[in-house]
Amino acid sequence: MVGNGGEMVAVRGLYKRYKELPVLLNLSFDIPRGSIFGYIGPNGSGKTTTIKIMTGLIRDFQGDVMIEGRSIRNWGKELSSMIGYLPQQTSLQEWRTVDQSLHTFGRLSGLSENEVKERMAEVVDVLGISEYRERKVSKLSGGTLQKVGMAQAMLHRPKLLVLDEPVAGLDPESRVLFKGLFRKLSREGTTIFFSSHILSDIEDIADTIGILGQGMMRYIGSMDELRARVGRTTEIRLETVEPVPSDALLERIPGISKVERVADNRFHIMLEDLREVDAVVDRTIRAVMAESIHVRAIHPNRQSLESLYLSYADAEGKL
Amino acid sequence: MSLWMLFKDELNGFYRSKVMLALWVGLPAMALVLYFLTDDIEGMPITMFVGLLVSSIGGLLTSVLIVVNILNEKERKVYDLFFVRPIRRENLLLAKFAAVFLCVMIASFIAIFLAAFLDSVTEGYGVREMLSSISDSLLITISLMAINSSAGVLIGVFSPSVLVGVLLVLFGSNQLSSLVLLPMITGWGEMWMVALASIGISFLLLFGASILFDRKEL
Repeated sequence: MVGNGGEMVAVRGLYKRYKELPVLLNLSFDIPRGSIFGYIGPNGSGKTTTIKIMTGLIRDFQGDVMIEGRSIRNWGKELSSMIGYLPQQTSLQEWRTVDQSLHTFGRLSGLSENEVKERMAEVVDVLGISEYRERKVSKLSGGTLQKVGMAQAMLHRPKLLVLDEPVAGLDPESRVLFKGLFRKLSREGTTIFFSSHILSDIEDIADTIGILGQGMMRYIGSMDELRARVGRTTEIRLETVEPVPSDALLERIPGISKVERVADNRFHIMLEDLREVDAVVDRTIRAVMAESIHVRAIHPNRQSLESLYLSYADAEGKL
Repeated sequence: MSLWMLFKDELNGFYRSKVMLALWVGLPAMALVLYFLTDDIEGMPITMFVGLLVSSIGGLLTSVLIVVNILNEKERKVYDLFFVRPIRRENLLLAKFAAVFLCVMIASFIAIFLAAFLDSVTEGYGVREMLSSISDSLLITISLMAINSSAGVLIGVFSPSVLVGVLLVLFGSNQLSSLVLLPMITGWGEMWMVALASIGISFLLLFGASILFDRKEL
């Protein structure tokens, strides 16, 4: 049976079009239980549409989504209590206070009066918004509103958190708070599926990455697998104390494919094979020392997700 | 459970809103001021005059209030966080309808009871005449408000923008609610017919709104 294995979510053959415009074309992927799944793709690639299907907000589509083996088409109390959802922009009824909003969402999610009160106190504390509890939603800043959004998403202890651009618009401190929270929730067994345009955030916390392009999943796997698949030759950054008179000194070292001089004493060195990085570092140090040039710093520079994403887009054509 | 909770929430939101506070004070005041400024109303009791005026002005305000509220919330995607929870989507609409309807009705009641009191003081009407006058006025008000509110809900659900919504209210729901008064005005109908017609029309409008709201991808 589809979607009943070790995965929390199994997306199978999703197809969705808006009028004549197809957005998702046979999209399939699995989200392992307890993982943090980073979902990336260009604007208009269908990320939000996928999320809205997963959360039962879009019901007119082909294919299926199974959450713990239950089809999203049978949306009801059981499924909705498993999912916590944070939209791209948290929008709440403006006349409510933070407490009133959380209370209603908690009760509607099936928590008892006592459970709601207890959980509200916990989540506002974790998110650092205790002081805003009696404040009207319309008086909150964007960042605080996003935290209230996160609070309502995790209030009923869902097994799956579906978050659409959760850290967009947050200040650096809040981003660190959110990322720490995601890691903590993941350790406690919550599966987290989130989309983001801030690739460094995905790189920081996601253990699985999905790249969506033209309505299909173009890549799914870990960062390391992506790096091995499309990563350019790993770069080594070298800085010496004395100037290096000629690039040839470095170019003749076995394993180096290209040398870019940034300054008299600074170089970006490309490798032929990223597996040889340690050996090349060793040879480079020996080569420059042999010329009585001292090494100030040398370190491999791993490609960021952003750079890998662009490499992937290059390799696969337009995503 | 969710309908009752949502109704209490909406009521909590509306009765404290500035618009509602203005209505609760403004509607009775406006009706009475207009009465005293109008020279000739052919011997119509104040209560009846106020009833008609309040149902007309209040009805229009109610439908505009509901349309603007639903369209704003729809546009801001407020309903998404409700829809991901196990509730019947139409409960959101019914709760809003009931809350606004109740709030505006209370404002109308205040105006009508105030008018009845004035009638009894200025015209010396007895209790029986007063009660008859109040019951007719209340029935007209409730009927028209119900149609206006439910039309407001339907227009709020399908209208693409606030401007279109308000225009539809002005040219649609207000005229529709006036239609049910025709039997009484032309003299071939009774008050109970007005009440029955308005219940039927309101039910149909709300039913249509619920179906649309449930099917629509907002």
